[in-house]
Amino acid sequence: MIDEPDSPVREPRLKPYSPVRRDILKALGLNALALAGMMAGVAPRPGLAREPAAGGNVATAPVSDRTAEKQPFLGEHQAGVVTPRPACGMVASFDVLAQTPDELVRLFRTLTERTRFLMEGGTPPVRDPRFPPTDSGILGPVVIPDNLTVTVSVGSSLFDGRFGLGPFRPKYLERMTAFPNDALNADLCHGDLSIQLCANTADTTIHALRDIVKNLPDLLWLRWKQEGAVPVLPEVPDRPAESARNFLGFRDGSANPDANDTALMNRILWVQRGGEEPEWMAGGTYQAVRIIRNFVERWDRTPLREQERIFGRARDSGAPLDGGPGASEFDVPDFGRDPDGVHTPHDSHIRLANPRTPESETNLILRRPFNYSNGVTKSGQLDMGLLFICYQANLLNGFITVQRRLDGEPLEEYIKPVGGGYFFTLPGVRDENDFFARPLLAAAHLVPAAG
Amino acid sequence: MKKSLLSFAAATTLALGSLTLAAPSAPVLAQAAAAVSPLDLVAPVAEYKIYVTKATQQFVKDTKAFTDAVKAGDVEKAKALFAPTRVSYEQIEPIAELFSDLDAAIDSRADDHEKAEADPGFTGFHRIEYGLWEKNSTAELGPFADKLLADVEELHKRIAGLTFPPEKVVGGAAVLMEEVAATKISGEEDRYSHTDLWDFQGNFDGSRKIFDLFRPLLPKDDGEFVKKVEGNFNRVDVILAKYKEGNGFQSYEKLTDADRNVLAGAVNTLAEDLSTLRGKLGLD
Repeated sequence: MIDEPDSPVREPRLKPYSPVRRDILKALGLNALALAGMMAGVAPRPGLAREPAAGGNVATAPVSDRTAEKQPFLGEHQAGVVTPRPACGMVASFDVLAQTPDELVRLFRTLTERTRFLMEGGTPPVRDPRFPPTDSGILGPVVIPDNLTVTVSVGSSLFDGRFGLGPFRPKYLERMTAFPNDALNADLCHGDLSIQLCANTADTTIHALRDIVKNLPDLLWLRWKQEGAVPVLPEVPDRPAESARNFLGFRDGSANPDANDTALMNRILWVQRGGEEPEWMAGGTYQAVRIIRNFVERWDRTPLREQERIFGRARDSGAPLDGGPGASEFDVPDFGRDPDGVHTPHDSHIRLANPRTPESETNLILRRPFNYSNGVTKSGQLDMGLLFICYQANLLNGFITVQRRLDGEPLEEYIKPVGGGYFFTLPGVRDENDFFARPLLAAAHLVPAAG
Repeated sequence: MKKSLLSFAAATTLALGSLTLAAPSAPVLAQAAAAVSPLDLVAPVAEYKIYVTKATQQFVKDTKAFTDAVKAGDVEKAKALFAPTRVSYEQIEPIAELFSDLDAAIDSRADDHEKAEADPGFTGFHRIEYGLWEKNSTAELGPFADKLLADVEELHKRIAGLTFPPEKVVGGAAVLMEEVAATKISGEEDRYSHTDLWDFQGNFDGSRKIFDLFRPLLPKDDGEFVKKVEGNFNRVDVILAKYKEGNGFQSYEKLTDADRNVLAGAVNTLAEDLSTLRGKLGLD
């Protein structure tokens, strides 16, 4: 049970604590594990989940300094879009089971409540032990925020005849259709509602998903989910942060637009008031999700030079192929000086995806991908790839146009999109009285307009 | 026990507050269990035992007719008897599952076995279902029919001698919904015959029976809970009624996605709500 510590307090973990404080905590009856977990929040150090200090046993939990990190829930935009991507991510897609407008409102209100709690962290209600517990308990008796973001988006099917939302459908929101290289699996596609969960550890995203599923059994039905992660890197002082690598060994996201540039984000990412879209969408963004299998065995048997020409970048540094010695992933390729594709082939991935012409400026997207690894195929090959997620203010100009340019690229020999969907990420929850989708529901007169 | 839990939670909140991990205030929901006296449980448990006994007797009788048809080589008759025979088993599944060896022999599915349909351990209803629908034949089914009847008779014998623990009986209401949620919504239970809606009906009847028997013991102020549970049972009834055909049901493949969603929502919510029934009655 959790009442009393059953193991002696381990000195090495407690060094940053003053003895006085420790005595107070002891007097409060905290056990050693809870103490160690909280300590982390007090003395932040750069670092990652790592093995416990000397004295830990084989099954002692790895420790992290970052469990107390949290992202703000309230805001004009939802968290989890421009938020720096943590190590772990998941997309879960649901059918909405609500039958009436009232039930739809209850769905979004409950999602708001759960998200607020999960991102903030805290102690779940304790029930009489003859009842099932209110919380799965997988993070312990106190839920840590662990940098969790919960990002809620809606699919085009939510705008069908059920709730009268048809007239308020985002202009470019459609059901994802297959591109020529796709082999879509119906069990991994579409959905009325998607939830992107990101956190420092996979356990935190799983905890959040289980909480949401448990609290909304009558309103949400899980269609599919895909988890992913990105490899963590050691921090190197005085060097800019590097982009994470995908499962093909290449950096992914080098050319991402700068999410700290508010003006740029307002142009390419966030839907603006007064444009061609319904007013309720202001502050939201389109989300494209793609589950893209990578044929990694085949890729690993491909000569490095060919790999690099397929991507248009040097594998190890991430530098564009026209970069000189010492170039990095942050050097910008100059395709204008390479009209014949001598350095960077015309059909290379980066040149097709972003030709860097004035026209292609309208096709910028913000990518937020994770790598996934699911198991083994019937052919004994690794089932792994990219959980591609990107955001943009205009789905047609953004992902759809970029993907059309990529159709037929040489990389297709090594990748196979099998699932995903298009969604619209709702505007942020502004204040304590606001809730997810309120502007949409108000526009459709399902709830009173905000006062 | 309860006291120490509460004080722990309070202390944790306090300490965390000072570490900016601010927990929401008032984290403790002391949902107390109702004080139901053990004597109050006697009547509903006894009545449930009668329900189970009747269902088991029916089950033995129906299984005899079903296995007779299989052994007589009458494919059409065996097919017709397959789904109705299973209904009484599905009604009492939480009790039947107390005997896990028999449950596996009677009701396991091909994917419970490493070699699937070819696995020698794959016996019982679904093995016979496989032969009848996939092979359209009773050839080689004789030994399976004999074993099924013997297992069902053994089950009957064991249930007759069983003392019914109240917490198992009450917990069974949710267990029946878990059955549906875990394997029946997907249509994988009766994958060769697509007679899943018959099983649904059996599970719902069994769950509702338990709920109805113990409902009078719930606290008087729990009307919202009762209303919600009954509302979901009724939702299910409405959907199932749409697919009634003769004395039974249409193929599960006829179920529309919209109706499947209503069933899924009702089933998951019933599983969630009925999982609190033990606590509400103070049963450990």
